[in-house]
Amino acid sequence: MRKPDGKIVLLGDMNVGKTSLLQRYMERRFPDTVSTVGGAFYLKQWRSYNISIWDTAGREQFHGLGSMYCRGAAAVILTYDVNHPQSLVELEDRFLGLTDTANTDCLFAIVGNKVDLLEDGTADSQEKEGLGPGVAGGGSSGSPKVPKQVQPEDAVAFYKKILKYKMLDEKDVPAAEQMCFETSAKTGYNVDLLFETLFDMVVPVILRQRAQGPPQTVDITSYKTPRRTRSGCCA
Amino acid sequence: MEAGGDTAAPAPGDAEDLEDTRFPSEEAGDGGGVHEDPPDPGDGDLEKTESETKDQPPGLLSPLPQSEAPSCTCGLWDPAASENSPMGAPESGSGGQGGDPSDEDWRSKRKHVFVLSEAGKPIYSRYGSVEALSTTMGVMTALVSFVQSAGDAIRAIYAEDHKLVFLQQGPLLLVAVSRTPQSAAQLRGELLAVHAQIVSTLTRASVARIFARKQNYDLRRLLAGSERTLDRLLDSVERDPGALLLGAVRCVPLARPLRDALGALLRRCTAPGLALSVLAIGGRLVTAAQERTVLAECRLDPADLQLLLDWVGAPAFAAGEAWAPVCLPRFNPDGFFYAYVARLDAMPVCLLLLGTDPEAFHDMATCRRLVEEGMHTLGAMRALGEAASFSNFPSTNAPAYSVQAVGAPGLRHFLYKPLDIPDHHRQLPQFTSPELEAPYSREEERQRLSDLYHRLHARLHSSSRPLRLIYHVAERETLLAWVTSKFELYTCLSPLVTKAGAILVVTKLLRWVKKEEDRLFIRYPPKYSTPPPAPAASTDQPSHNGLFTGP
Repeated sequence: MRKPDGKIVLLGDMNVGKTSLLQRYMERRFPDTVSTVGGAFYLKQWRSYNISIWDTAGREQFHGLGSMYCRGAAAVILTYDVNHPQSLVELEDRFLGLTDTANTDCLFAIVGNKVDLLEDGTADSQEKEGLGPGVAGGGSSGSPKVPKQVQPEDAVAFYKKILKYKMLDEKDVPAAEQMCFETSAKTGYNVDLLFETLFDMVVPVILRQRAQGPPQTVDITSYKTPRRTRSGCCA
Repeated sequence: MEAGGDTAAPAPGDAEDLEDTRFPSEEAGDGGGVHEDPPDPGDGDLEKTESETKDQPPGLLSPLPQSEAPSCTCGLWDPAASENSPMGAPESGSGGQGGDPSDEDWRSKRKHVFVLSEAGKPIYSRYGSVEALSTTMGVMTALVSFVQSAGDAIRAIYAEDHKLVFLQQGPLLLVAVSRTPQSAAQLRGELLAVHAQIVSTLTRASVARIFARKQNYDLRRLLAGSERTLDRLLDSVERDPGALLLGAVRCVPLARPLRDALGALLRRCTAPGLALSVLAIGGRLVTAAQERTVLAECRLDPADLQLLLDWVGAPAFAAGEAWAPVCLPRFNPDGFFYAYVARLDAMPVCLLLLGTDPEAFHDMATCRRLVEEGMHTLGAMRALGEAASFSNFPSTNAPAYSVQAVGAPGLRHFLYKPLDIPDHHRQLPQFTSPELEAPYSREEERQRLSDLYHRLHARLHSSSRPLRLIYHVAERETLLAWVTSKFELYTCLSPLVTKAGAILVVTKLLRWVKKEEDRLFIRYPPKYSTPPPAPAASTDQPSHNGLFTGP
């Protein structure tokens, strides 16, 4: 059996496109939406390393499992939907706490997905493909096209918040600009870039862990705070 | 005349008063049903457990203004309105929108299923959006609490061509509103299956806890994403009856030596905390093995097994290796198991490993590799691939056989459930049926056949006057249903068949089943090894194994 060398976890609210991002990358297609049950495990060969990727369910129902999927993760991809500001808020409220079980030197990527839904909105401002029947019927004062709801700066601000939360120094981690992505699983825009950038960053982490000895030992000793309080399974 | 074992063949004389049974349009004859126009809560049109509501002064009982409840109800179930809507309207595709009770398309659905909280908060509706239905659901809550306030429970309302069945399960209320010929008991069975599905994702305890803490909690938040599973469950009743109707699972037809070898393989491949391993293809069982340390004293309920078989068929499990909590409502409605689900070798063959340890994913993944290797050694992949590839509907990937295999001209379809299985595996009720072929390839034709089977089943199992044999000449087919101590059988025959011809066909079919039974059924399910010496660390484990205990 191939033993995974490093772990990457996809987190984010339901319907932001976590599964679609991964399918786009792994299988080069954009399949019909399915609602993930629990978490799905994939193994990706990158150079000579086996990187495991956990695609988790965004549904609140499976929230309790989140910290388990994150245990010992080398990188976490926090995904939101650029058309729904609430999905970025949820990342902070519900998902950031789950990453407490990740490695102490865990990398964070902030990914705004579904930029394809904005594009014609910004290009031509006129009559839009009815993004939701409510828009068509409403005809309210604003134009029917969807204005970009979450700006890249918001993601960068969130990234800095994470560093603060993790008590990490900005100098020790990759710059925010490097770790914030805007993608479209539908068109494939930036998807390869996202995963491959991350893989390349995870490899040195793997090497460092190997040098430090068995990762389990490191994990246990490096947790100073009782993890339980944060795991949030009982909210 | 030999039609199978020592049971009398359906000679015309035996079935004298049963032949050509015409089904009454309603089930009033079986007692319980009352015909009346719209269900009026102020009237006695309710089938109840005990007392008669109409004896009570209505003003005392109804939590709703009297003027409001009946008018809503009438508007909803106005028979005239359902007349001008097509019976067999395509049922798919419109799940997302509508839901306004005045919407023609919504009203034309043959069967609605609703789930709501005790406080009347909508949780699920088969059709339409639950938001649009809050008024309708309010009426349902009113009906229920109206009867409840008299210390009674409402079970069903029979209204002209509709049956309304109510089922209260803890803080959840389930309601079916149906124009299908299904009996109230069958509808109740469907509602129970819907409830089991909800419990399997949340557990009964966590549902109870949520509503104890906050009565008007919106449970949709937690069920989000599970609606499709409920939709699929309800659709399966209309498209492919059998599992729910007969309370049995369907097996993949497979040569016995191979099935036995696979069973042995599953028992050999274990992992810490592993409780149950199941091999399935397209919702049909290949074989299963229970681990004695966890499920020693407990039998796996067939309803739980069927639930798992449906569950692993979800599109979410088509890729990757999944790890998710699942509750087996019959085994323990309050605790979770953790399930490893994967397709083997990119085949439709699905392996499910159920354990008690939430952290055991990698152990299960290792176990899966053992199973996979073992199957390669056995050459099982090819055989299972062949079993899976025979199908008229390759898209379904369901292993099946053609009714032609029976070699009985005139036979179109059948459901056969053996009842003479040895005692030690009564825990695994099974049935077999061939692929639905022409003329039952279209949706509405399948629905019609499903309706006929449901009618026959309701008659055979009528609580007041059960029948053993029914010969029914329908408009476009002839049906024969027969229950003995050895089997339960439903056959669908060509409409031109004579009674003598039908008996001949059934005789042939029974002979064929006898000949093929080793292949069609798991005759000798894997025996679980000797029980553990000490009953430690066993069945109570699932109840406290969860880091996932709900919100």
